[in-house]
Amino acid sequence: MTAIAKGRRKHPTLNRFGPGAQAVFHGVLGLFSLLCIIPFVFVIIISFTSEESIRAIGYSFRPLSWSLQAYAYTFQLGDQLWRSYLNSFLITIVGTALSVGICVLYAYPLFRRDYRLRGFFNFLSFFTMIFGGGLVPTFVICKSVLGLSDNYAALIVPMLFSPFNVIIMRTFFQTTVPTELIEAATIDGSGEYGTLTRIVLPIVTPGIATIALLNALGYWNEWFLSLLYINKNMNIIPLQYLLMRMQRNADFLAKNSSMLGADASRAAMELPSQTLKMALVVFIVVPIACAYPFFQRYVVAGLTVGSVKG
Amino acid sequence: MTMSGMKAERKHSLRMASARRKKTFWLTTMMLPGAVWLLLIRYLPMFGITIAFKNYRAFRPNTFWNNIVKSEFVGLKNFEFLKSPDTAVMIRNTLGYNIVWILLGLVISVTFAVMMSEVSNRFMAKTYQTMMFFPYFLSWVVASYFVLAFLDPTSGMINAMQKASGAKVTNFYHDTTWWPLILTICNLWKNVGYSSVLYLAAITGIDTTQYEAAAVDGATKWQQIWCVTLPNIRTMIIILLIMNVGKIFNADFGLFYNVPQNSGSLYPVTQVVDTYVYRAYANTHNLGMSSAAGFLQSAVGLVCIVGANAIVRKIDPESSLF
Amino acid sequence: MKRIVSLFLTLAMLLGLCAAAQADDLPTITIMFHGSNVSDDSAVLEKVNEYIADKVGAKLEVIWGTWGDFDEKVVNTLVSGDSDVDMVFTCSWSADEYNSYAKNGYFVKLDDLIAEYGADLKAAIPESLMQAATIEGAEGMGIYAVNGFKDTATQNTWDVNVTLLNELGYTLDDVKNLGFYGFGEIFAKAKEVKGDSFYPFLVEPMVAERMVTNSIIIAGDAGSTNLLSLYLNPEDVSAEGAYGNQILNKFATPEYKAFVEKMHEYYEAGYINPALAVAETSNDTRTNAQKTADYLIGTQSYAYGYEFSADVLARGVEVAFVPCTDAYVDTTASQGAMMAISSASEHVEESFKFLALLNSDPYLMTLLNYGVEGIHYTLNDDGLVVFNADARATYSPWTNGMGNVTILPDTESEGKGFREAFKAYYAGAKAIPALGYVFDNSAVANEMAALGNVAAQYALALDCGATDPETELPKFLEALDAAGMQTYLDAANAQLAAYLGK
Repeated sequence: MTAIAKGRRKHPTLNRFGPGAQAVFHGVLGLFSLLCIIPFVFVIIISFTSEESIRAIGYSFRPLSWSLQAYAYTFQLGDQLWRSYLNSFLITIVGTALSVGICVLYAYPLFRRDYRLRGFFNFLSFFTMIFGGGLVPTFVICKSVLGLSDNYAALIVPMLFSPFNVIIMRTFFQTTVPTELIEAATIDGSGEYGTLTRIVLPIVTPGIATIALLNALGYWNEWFLSLLYINKNMNIIPLQYLLMRMQRNADFLAKNSSMLGADASRAAMELPSQTLKMALVVFIVVPIACAYPFFQRYVVAGLTVGSVKG
Repeated sequence: MTMSGMKAERKHSLRMASARRKKTFWLTTMMLPGAVWLLLIRYLPMFGITIAFKNYRAFRPNTFWNNIVKSEFVGLKNFEFLKSPDTAVMIRNTLGYNIVWILLGLVISVTFAVMMSEVSNRFMAKTYQTMMFFPYFLSWVVASYFVLAFLDPTSGMINAMQKASGAKVTNFYHDTTWWPLILTICNLWKNVGYSSVLYLAAITGIDTTQYEAAAVDGATKWQQIWCVTLPNIRTMIIILLIMNVGKIFNADFGLFYNVPQNSGSLYPVTQVVDTYVYRAYANTHNLGMSSAAGFLQSAVGLVCIVGANAIVRKIDPESSLF
Repeated sequence: MKRIVSLFLTLAMLLGLCAAAQADDLPTITIMFHGSNVSDDSAVLEKVNEYIADKVGAKLEVIWGTWGDFDEKVVNTLVSGDSDVDMVFTCSWSADEYNSYAKNGYFVKLDDLIAEYGADLKAAIPESLMQAATIEGAEGMGIYAVNGFKDTATQNTWDVNVTLLNELGYTLDDVKNLGFYGFGEIFAKAKEVKGDSFYPFLVEPMVAERMVTNSIIIAGDAGSTNLLSLYLNPEDVSAEGAYGNQILNKFATPEYKAFVEKMHEYYEAGYINPALAVAETSNDTRTNAQKTADYLIGTQSYAYGYEFSADVLARGVEVAFVPCTDAYVDTTASQGAMMAISSASEHVEESFKFLALLNSDPYLMTLLNYGVEGIHYTLNDDGLVVFNADARATYSPWTNGMGNVTILPDTESEGKGFREAFKAYYAGAKAIPALGYVFDNSAVANEMAALGNVAAQYALALDCGATDPETELPKFLEALDAAGMQTYLDAANAQLAAYLGK
């Protein structure tokens, strides 16, 4: 088996599509990838566009003039910006670590056909994917029963568990972990936790990396929890909420300008420009995009692991 | 059978039973963190579902629990928003788009995932994969600016081209013709990369010896995909399909609200259940109605998901969700 | 279960910032303001708490709402019966919060408290504002919020770029005399001079509709797109209009038809930016064009002193506001900014004492609004407020949203005597005949939801002239009928008749 795997590496052409098909693959994937990346390039261009150019010709790939103003202004946000940035990192890292742990622990027994309470726990998780108590009842429980208010926990705990991710993770277990492996481990006298950590986890790294990526993205992009649970302690809000708050303020002021009196027009004037918002989008997207290859390494690492099992 | 043999048998089965209990115990401890979370954050608030059937208001003392208990039960009155003449349009749109997108998304994502796994240049494969994930980082609000850059009636690129060539200028935000296509493109653009990664991760988990065996048997690469790759990711495909079917009555709010810039003239092709309820709520602030709508979406989702799962269980019990 | 909860609480404590508990006997009252830009309130709150400790017997905490999140936050706070928040901002223009929340029991009825502790408050606020706040709530007829004394009348104006107007060879008198239906010739001239990509008519379409047809917003009507209307008498706002005290479907009147036909003509001629006809781009486009004075005639809902406001001055051109009618007092304007006490509050008495003090005590009002003298502002030789820009950047609440703005000192940019003139201007405003009428839509909420959606589909594009009224208006009216317009209208009229007959 190992010999075959090695042989494959020595003769990469042995079991591959021919150059014609490869060219088609590159063409299709390349084109779609470009389509995916262009909007982001566009956002970067807008963030460097001068306000005058936007007023004159709107958003454009070829602005009339360039400007660093938006970035200069982001740095003026000073403390708030960096603190929010730090919060985003903290929330994402802690949240992802905890939620991946909980997800794997919950999904593993669900995959075990010999686990007696499998059906019950499967339903317990699945049912909440369909039915929920709604926004306000959840808010009441989180705030008054669990004390999730004006603290980091409020930004982490409500997203700790995702039935969707549990099902995905369970599917990864099902498709990659042979039952015989677990039986063999049990016969060898390995405890349940030992089997999971020493034997199963190394095999499902691609799955774990994928789940971690989904969770990290979820935490990184989250802003609504801040709106709900943070009232006084603005020191702990993440960057995404800082951006959304600007966006929502601008929308509200423009819509209600006729009701707010002269004083609010001053507030409208102090609103950040479109270019500033785009600069913040760049700030938000870049770290998570940079973290992506890290997750990806594990997804691809699965290739070699897969060839060793069997 | 001798006495001692029976004794040994009993002893053995007792040991087995105790081993089973031990296994169940340890596996259950694994479930605990998740189960506790579910009970507290998902199940405890479920008493709120009753709001859908009540005329919710505040009583004295004004606590949430007391208000729910004392609020008047109004039966299905909160569901009467469905009597609106717009109901047919929003249901048609919600279901129509979802069905088309589930199928298109499935075919394209799986194709892309297979292609990526087969591209021999690993570096390029990784690059594609990274780039395809980018749309997932951008919110619909940001994406809507991008669409606007093309379609804006005054400075949009398409209109500029039309003007330059002397053609009639299309007023995109008042013309429903193109929107089913535009929304479809936007949806695929945002979601295909994400689900391809799920499929790709499933493909990378496939035992490569299966391919070697197929190659030894003389299978061409196309045949290998058909006979090895697809059957191996079948479970993932079916699970994602069932879950999508469960959300068939829900729509991606941002796509239908932000991307068409909330343009009224486009409602015939952009009004979906979520946007309708949002707009209705903005006008009435009727908590009962929005709870009712949420309940309805859940109920429809439950029926669809149980139905789909039943069908799957008949055909392929291995892959069913529960 | 208890163990589980405590497990989570431990987790929460580990992750959270534990605020050090302060040993203090005074209860804490919390107020939720709207639309502020405050990042550092420590200096102000220290002074406030020093000042109110004896007078109110409580310590104040503030939740500085932001414009965009306030509605959502206030709904959550009130609906969930959250006792952590004692006082909230409310009004009648944003989804009719005041009237419906009071009716549904979320606010405390204040009449008894006013009788007991409200002598100063009653002296500081005009009787008419007290009346405007008197509504039928959960505990019967009464006052459910302290009504802020601000610009209490509505006045719609044409916002004219005078510099450009004069360049084109016209004067303000021409704008007055030609009126909406005669603007065409000025627009044509502007288009000729400024080129094809210039859009002279910068409308907020819904406001333009009200200005031209003399229609009035009915409090309690669908929030985002109004369906109902009373009609104003443009000559004398306190007299009945052309249709008497009758509420009409505003889209079915001949006035509306004439208006949208004219708008369509202007739109087709290229006088109106097409981006104004799309909900999400409309507001941004208008704000931007206004900022850069890239327009000739616009619409503006006017408040006294708007000419001197920073954003008008920043346009760099001479701007004038040409009113269509005198300022009139309607329900919407007279319930424009209020402070209510949540019925979930555990400190109702202290909260009321605080609100009464805030609205009658110039020191406290100035402190909360302008900040601490010597830090956030200084007084110049004329006694006018000069802001310290740096400190003000970290502390600038929404003045109008806080309460009685007439007890604030004048600022340097407003000039001496501004408050007096302001008070006089609004004291002179006349009330419309149906002042105080609020439509209770609870019986027809489903119709309203459907009608609101229909109106959102057609109204903005028609109001802006983007679609052809020849084909679209009949479709619109038909769709409204199908969605139950008549039922809705009848309910509103029956209530109005009952209100006026009483």
